[in-house]
Amino acid sequence: MKASRKWIFQRISAIIVAPLIIWFLISLISLSTGDYNSVINFFSKPLFLFLTIILLITGFFHAKIGLSEIYEDYIQDEKIKNVANILTFLLSIIVPLVTIILLLYKF
Amino acid sequence: MNDSKNPLSPHLQIYRWQVSSLVSITHRITGILNLLGLIFICAWISSAGIGENFFESFSVFLKSFIGKFILIGFTWSMSYHLLSGIRHFFWDLGYGYEIKTANLSGIIVIIGSLFLTIILWMIGKGLI
Repeated sequence: MKASRKWIFQRISAIIVAPLIIWFLISLISLSTGDYNSVINFFSKPLFLFLTIILLITGFFHAKIGLSEIYEDYIQDEKIKNVANILTFLLSIIVPLVTIILLLYKF
Repeated sequence: MNDSKNPLSPHLQIYRWQVSSLVSITHRITGILNLLGLIFICAWISSAGIGENFFESFSVFLKSFIGKFILIGFTWSMSYHLLSGIRHFFWDLGYGYEIKTANLSGIIVIIGSLFLTIILWMIGKGLI
């Protein structure tokens, strides 16, 4: 990805994630002492399910770009940097994907 | 970049800490913590998706002292990264580069992150 494109994507994803993470954290704090049914009710709402999926996709995307920026500054060896980037890429795809599949399968 | 004998910058052994550098490195550290937080959130959601038994086990952990500590920690880490990110947006727009302003906004980010953490918890707990 071109550096200028990374720069703009990092900011667009930040604007999307910021309100969603505030909403999700409050929900998580509220649900953390609740029972199973309250969580089921939460994700049964189509809007909440949709927002959660957007949060996960955009959040991991934002993290992927951010981490590659950090690698760029602290890892000198190009090969190690490439491996780190590939591993981060896979992590940021697989973790949200598995979670979203589970969510959609369940709700 | 081709000469690997060049020292890494900044020179951490002789570095004098300032508000600007502290806020900057903390932005990166909280960014990494937030990735762990997202993975933690995914684990929580997945446990609910797999079934009630898995979810209950996760809930017991969340209600424990360590679980609460982790949840409060992530709330702070995300609050900090968010406020520090807003500070970056002001820079992108061309504001706040003066040393005095940058120091002040850095302090606002540090103190504000603590306040935001408390506010989010109070809303989450239904106290506000």
